[in-house]
Amino acid sequence: MYEYEGEEVFVIDSHLHLWDASEPNITHEGGEQFIQCFYDYHTAFTPEEKQWDLEEYRQYDADRMAGDLFGNAAVDMGIFQPTYLQDFYAEGFNTIGDNAELAERYPERFVLNGRFDPRDGEAGLRELERQKEQYDIEGVKLYTAEWNGDSKGWRLDSEESFRFLEKCAELGIDKIHPHKGPTIRPLNRDAFDVADVDDAATSFPELNFVVEHVGLPRLDDFCWIAAQEPNVYGGLAVAAPMAVHRPRKFGEIMGELLFWLGEDRLLFGSDYALWNPDWLVDVVMNAELTQEQRDEYGVELDIEIKKKIMGENAADLYDIDIEEKKRQFREDAVTKEFGLGDHYGRSATPADD
Amino acid sequence: MSADTRDGEDGVSEARIRERLDRVTDPELDTSIVELEYIDEIGIDGNEVHVAMTLPTAWCSPAFAWMMATDARDEIERLHGVSEATIELREHMHEREINRGVNKGLSFGEAFPDAEGGVEPVRTELDEKARLARQHDATSALLDAGLDGDQIVALTRDDIMIENDNAHVWLREGAVGVCVDADPLERYVEKAAATGLVDDDHPELFRTPAGEPIGPEAFETVHHRTRAAGVNMSGQGSVCDALHESRRAEDRPPLSSF
Repeated sequence: MYEYEGEEVFVIDSHLHLWDASEPNITHEGGEQFIQCFYDYHTAFTPEEKQWDLEEYRQYDADRMAGDLFGNAAVDMGIFQPTYLQDFYAEGFNTIGDNAELAERYPERFVLNGRFDPRDGEAGLRELERQKEQYDIEGVKLYTAEWNGDSKGWRLDSEESFRFLEKCAELGIDKIHPHKGPTIRPLNRDAFDVADVDDAATSFPELNFVVEHVGLPRLDDFCWIAAQEPNVYGGLAVAAPMAVHRPRKFGEIMGELLFWLGEDRLLFGSDYALWNPDWLVDVVMNAELTQEQRDEYGVELDIEIKKKIMGENAADLYDIDIEEKKRQFREDAVTKEFGLGDHYGRSATPADD
Repeated sequence: MSADTRDGEDGVSEARIRERLDRVTDPELDTSIVELEYIDEIGIDGNEVHVAMTLPTAWCSPAFAWMMATDARDEIERLHGVSEATIELREHMHEREINRGVNKGLSFGEAFPDAEGGVEPVRTELDEKARLARQHDATSALLDAGLDGDQIVALTRDDIMIENDNAHVWLREGAVGVCVDADPLERYVEKAAATGLVDDDHPELFRTPAGEPIGPEAFETVHHRTRAAGVNMSGQGSVCDALHESRRAEDRPPLSSF
């Protein structure tokens, strides 16, 4: 467990991938452009000494990933968010099956989300049912700029999409994570426009919408939608690593988010392997608002609020009992493998203290 | 027009071309392409001007790249003494289509037959964002000068008189004047005009994000929304800037080609 000035912080990394962009898996030039573009983001917002080279970035295995997450105890739990891109990659870029390899090895440590694409029609609905049945998914990651045949994107507020959202509600899949974030080559920038979340969130009050990447480069639109819709959350993947080289800008973005959404609807995510929680958690925990920013926004980013953002909010959303998890993690497989006993042991016998 | 006459007397110089290019903005960031250091080279050969530019990433939106390239061409060709400006966009995934289209005077649709929709709706959307961010700067300057929200929402274009670097803002039907820096107000009016909010059906200078006059009690919310628009724009600027830096880093590993 991460410790900040003597205080324990239970970290749930809400945005993880186990991807494969190895050359044999690439079937379309878009696949190569996509991973190289990811790599641009990786190098732009990673401290130099923590940067991977492109070849290790293309494909890493479950062991490497487990080591990155748990090796220095930066993360306690993680949520997998698949990204299929089957028009670019033979076996998909980061499918629920890929992610399951690690999630099923340490089931107590991971939440495994699924996905749907409304353009897949009936077959897509059956696939969603399969994911529920096989993995008991509670959430889906949606990628509205994904290519599918001739289509270069889809809208969350379309009739077809609503059929799938109805199916989600019926199956108890109530966490919807649309990617609404920066342009990624070769995908269409406008297909990530956050505007379509508004109607979907209003129409499905029983579902929660975690807008991944807080709508950037449409942060203002996202904030306004989230201010109206109580079931809209902000996923901080991409925003978080700005704390590395652009701490002032990170502070401003956090100021806006805390001002419009408050402290209970923001979720930390590393976007692994875009960025690695083994250094990112530390950077975010040490980020501060300037006095000027605190005055401007009338908000704080103190330890209590950081604890919410780093884990408690995700725990509330996914019905994770943090205290129960800490007890369980005293001797689970991850703790044994990475020697983390001390991290969960201290509060083991509070009654004896 | 008077500036153009003076241009003719001075001849074409790099400084004057740069001054023209400074008026071209990256539409997503609302910042000058000169300030953003996108300009690599300026060449002058008699009446012909050649400008080479590189954007932060090879995959910047083709529509944005197109806007910057055509705006640069048009600004330079407005200079007296320039017969033709050619633009060379470098290291962009669509440099071939863009350079050909811009230098042959094609439309975006002709240059990109597969693109859905033209470039104008994109420009309008970004101009509207820029207008909001500039409104935040302008109204913040007015708040700093002592005006309150009710006074600001009632201001019309005629209440503001620009004189050199100062703007005189008249309140209470001209009975009281306040003097502020002209720059944020001028910048705001420029984008308000570009988005059709000057000389429309409403005399009010400042507007909601939807372009309507700001109702009573609504000033603060609108002011916060315009602040968010500015933070978004400068936040995106930071992303582009970081991508730009990493792309140019000396130890950047070479990317393989597919």
